[in-house]
Amino acid sequence: MFRLAIEKTLNHMINANNIDIEHIDNKIISLKVEEIDLSLFFLCMNSRVFVLDKPQNKKIDVSIVMNKAAFLSMLKGSTIEELIEGEEIEINGNIKTAQQLADLLVSSSIDIEDLISQYTGDIVAHQLGRAFRQLKEGSLKNDGSIINNLKDEITTALIAPSRSRFFKRRVSK
Amino acid sequence: MGKTTHFGYKQVDVEKKQSLVKGVFDSVAGKYDLMNDVMSLGVHRLWKNYTIASSNVSNGDQVLDIAGGTGDLTIRYRKKVGSTGKVILSDINNSMLYEGRKNLLNHGVIDVDFVQANAESLPFKDNTFDCVSIAFGLRNVTDKDAALKQMCRVLKKGGTLLILEFSKVENQMLEKAYDFYSFNLIPKFGDFFANDEDSYQYLAESIRKHPNQETLKTMVLDAGFEFCEYHNLTGGIVALHKAIKA
Repeated sequence: MFRLAIEKTLNHMINANNIDIEHIDNKIISLKVEEIDLSLFFLCMNSRVFVLDKPQNKKIDVSIVMNKAAFLSMLKGSTIEELIEGEEIEINGNIKTAQQLADLLVSSSIDIEDLISQYTGDIVAHQLGRAFRQLKEGSLKNDGSIINNLKDEITTALIAPSRSRFFKRRVSK
Repeated sequence: MGKTTHFGYKQVDVEKKQSLVKGVFDSVAGKYDLMNDVMSLGVHRLWKNYTIASSNVSNGDQVLDIAGGTGDLTIRYRKKVGSTGKVILSDINNSMLYEGRKNLLNHGVIDVDFVQANAESLPFKDNTFDCVSIAFGLRNVTDKDAALKQMCRVLKKGGTLLILEFSKVENQMLEKAYDFYSFNLIPKFGDFFANDEDSYQYLAESIRKHPNQETLKTMVLDAGFEFCEYHNLTGGIVALHKAIKA
């Protein structure tokens, strides 16, 4: 679900703002955030971005590895070059391509709850939005658990909405 | 008997399967939506919402909804493609297309093309669609490999294939409960609500004969797709396979 949320948001941004991603067309970019066990593969094709779990034996064009602090810093607007200077990030491949992906990610996180709600319904959006805000605000204290917690929350919301905490709260009002 | 295939748990002549499946869907078409709600307790709507959310369909896209039946995915796609996009609802079964047309009209959706077509020989040009989807239809196709190749052919480069289908339950306890539900209750529901126990017995059997998640993924990749991932929903009762043509 986390991958889906990122994918949907990126594509929404690309569509809404007519962002040209031709320069990263047909490229696979790997993003790994250490400490929180976040590993994503971005494939750009047909004017849209796909967020994959695995590269499926395909050649990775750009590989980005960073720690949690650098990831949060990037989401708050730090450039790839700044992160490289601070030795907080490791890049294998074209830095410009990495920066283009970073720019997309940064822009996509601005209104994540609002954007996702258009596609997945309010319950899911609320939970994704809350988790993403936690991540952005750096309030992630329990290392490694956020992604799993998020998956659990969203799966619960998706297959059994009546059990979700958010749903219960709404009913009890 | 020549080459055979499965029809539920029965082995039938390959050439007969299509007409047998037609018989099932002719019989259930009128109560199809009601039975989906009854059998899945409404959860099929969430599975379909997840499919739409995964589709990446946007303004101006060309979408093909194969085995689109009563059109509930088509309605959602139509909203997403806007006035510049196009959605085609295709189904091999005339009764299902009739129900789909009626359902879409009831929802005020008129800008959709209807095509009666066999998924094994799609009547569309190569590289036409941004998204092709098939929800709860692939298991009824006789030659699934041929159908998957056709889906790959009609997709544009970078196009997305979505297969929403019953699959293999992951948890053993859930599997036992699900088996009991499938073979004891679903046919009874079919009898009670649709006056047709046999068709719903076939449904339960056809689900068990359908390839599991990993097998289907391999089949999709063999059909020419470069990437394929699946996501289990409700413990694997249903899986969404998402593939990309590169």
